Amino acid sequence: MTQVSEINESRHPLQEVPKQSGFELDIGTVIRMMLASGGLRKMRVMEPDEPRYVRPPREYELPEYRQGMKYCKSNEKYLRPTRYCNPREPLVIAMANELGAYELSDWEFAEAAYWFVKTKLVLEFLTLNRVSETLTRGTGTCYHLMSVWIALCRAAGIKARYKTFKMRVPEQVTTLTEAAVGDTTPIDMFDTGGTPEGEGEAYIDDKWEVAHLAFRPEIAAAGGLPVTRLGEDAIGNTFDLVPGTIKRFESISLRLALLSKAMMWLAPAAMERANAFFHTQALPVGRKILEDAGGIEAYDHNIRRMKELLSAEDITRKLAAERKQLIQFTE
Amino acid sequence: MPLDEAQAMQFKAIKYTFARHYTLNSFYHRYCEEKGVTPDDLKTNGDLEQIPLIPDSVFKQHPSGKDFAYWIAGIFTGDLPQVVIKGANPTFDDVINAFNAAGMAVTYSSGTSGLSTVIPRDMKTMRYLQYSWTKKWLDFWDAAPDHSLTFIPKSTHTNLTASKIQEVFLDLFKDPHHALDFEISADLAVRASVGDTPTAAEQLSAEEQLRKMFIIGTKWLERYEKTTDTIWLLSFPALFSAFLDALEGQGKRFDFGERGVLQTGGGWKSRDGKGISHEDFRKRVKEVLGFPDTHCHDSYGMSEMTSVSITCPEGHYYHLDPWLKPIVLDKSLTSVGYGEWGRFAFLDPLAYSYPGFIMSGDQVRLLEHCPVCDRPGPVLDQTISRMGSEEMRGCATLLANILQDDLRRQ
Repeated sequence: MTQVSEINESRHPLQEVPKQSGFELDIGTVIRMMLASGGLRKMRVMEPDEPRYVRPPREYELPEYRQGMKYCKSNEKYLRPTRYCNPREPLVIAMANELGAYELSDWEFAEAAYWFVKTKLVLEFLTLNRVSETLTRGTGTCYHLMSVWIALCRAAGIKARYKTFKMRVPEQVTTLTEAAVGDTTPIDMFDTGGTPEGEGEAYIDDKWEVAHLAFRPEIAAAGGLPVTRLGEDAIGNTFDLVPGTIKRFESISLRLALLSKAMMWLAPAAMERANAFFHTQALPVGRKILEDAGGIEAYDHNIRRMKELLSAEDITRKLAAERKQLIQFTE
Repeated sequence: MPLDEAQAMQFKAIKYTFARHYTLNSFYHRYCEEKGVTPDDLKTNGDLEQIPLIPDSVFKQHPSGKDFAYWIAGIFTGDLPQVVIKGANPTFDDVINAFNAAGMAVTYSSGTSGLSTVIPRDMKTMRYLQYSWTKKWLDFWDAAPDHSLTFIPKSTHTNLTASKIQEVFLDLFKDPHHALDFEISADLAVRASVGDTPTAAEQLSAEEQLRKMFIIGTKWLERYEKTTDTIWLLSFPALFSAFLDALEGQGKRFDFGERGVLQTGGGWKSRDGKGISHEDFRKRVKEVLGFPDTHCHDSYGMSEMTSVSITCPEGHYYHLDPWLKPIVLDKSLTSVGYGEWGRFAFLDPLAYSYPGFIMSGDQVRLLEHCPVCDRPGPVLDQTISRMGSEEMRGCATLLANILQDDLRRQ
């Protein structure tokens, strides 16, 4: 019933997990959400004077599917269709071809798909759905975005899988949220001993390459964080990992799908608030920062250079204790 | 000296000092380890920009009381003397005075942010700093003038860096004189620099001190006007402007001509916070004292630097000491080279007792040559301003926390 899936977290031994592992959402999370957002009514009902979320227009054209477009027909693990991630949907095949499948090298294609998802799709809290629906809409949760990238890779014949872990929310993000909405509810409601976070992984040139897709560059900029690239893990770069929480799997679990639906049913207003926050607060702030810096590349260069020079975590952790004895205090 | 020879000497000096701090200063050693830079990585002058830079704010993030003493000890490179500090809760001045009584030359500057920069110098590093000032007389004038009058606190009355440098005046001038002759505590210096509203009593006292200072200054000028002796005055621009106001108010005019030299330093804001024009200021000095424009020099330096840059008489550009390697950084803290505006940083090989590889909060423009005079070496443009510290803020906060952690562990 279960299969071995890879877990290779630094300083943690390999372990077995179910093939269809899930998002770490449970009843405790739901209760915490209720408490964090001030009760059930507040989670379900928007106040009249609250700003409403309006879905932004899609930022790209949908390519047309044509008969004869190449796609991967293998049923091998990590290439085959899985729940909410079907690489054989016509729109997925068309988008993969549009992005250069079977023309570019595996790395080049995975990278093109990576930047497409990371810069063109936008975060929105929703129930899980098919990849073609996400592509048509242009928005989704980190799971939607991961599924788009994984499906595109699989359509192009590149093995791809999910990776989840729990992270501690960066202080910058908490601070930004608090400054923007007056409290940290959007953060707190997911913070159940670590916030669930996901990444995709694609098998390229005998190596699993990681892809953190959830943070658009604007969100990274708003938090003063680097814009992660393909092959660069958000763990340690953007997030601090809660040790022992990394899981890798081929498919989204049924449990996660149900929890996703339950969450939207239970807390539509909380989700809408989070969506409104991202689109009216975080994105514009980040967009301005990127513009001021001269674009994504320039911003990223600057922020990485700063981290390099100034991670002075180091600098003054350094008082020489032996000198203490040379200083004498008298009454 | 040809430029390549000068650069070779500069490289040798900076590498030597870098190796010293890398080897003997534990906090800087670990910082360099994190940055992956060792003295062996420095092969040519161009490699010097790899040296890890310390934000100037690090020297402002000192704790108080006993922890302040341990902080000084931790920042210091070299053999620390036995320091005896009286009292269970020593003040800022108590701690600094105790270190200095033990043979060091710990000084501070009254930062405009309200946080004073503290630099733990040993006597060798202090002598280097004083040498830098003395050398200016050789660079710009043939000899030291006969008499000097300073409008900054006397070195025996305070631990301000600018005042401690003046100890060298005792050897340099026949008759060094101080118009500002009362004790300045660190608290008073910092409060004055941040523009804290004084109490009525303090206001009265300050006005009285100012009045006395101006009387001393006026009498001093009158004494030497009738001679053929050369004179030199040192002041902050704002304070000297007020002195010129006072002289004009009394209808006093002097004509020292080329016998007089004025040196200023400390920023170009007036007492009410407005900018003072360098050119207008020099014109007023000429009108009131008769000093030619070429005899008015401004200086640029900071407490962290073992150097003072003086403006040349011809073009009023700030000429840098040859041992100092200046660097201008852009927003990403990458070196931008000559002609660009950016954050001033420097590698200071004469900072023997602390790592003098610093990035400052000043916006400058570095020029390869002075556009006006033919003195060799790079210069700074006449306009120097403060800039935001966003790029360094994260570091500053982090360092404060780390420092506190370290102190707790001791």
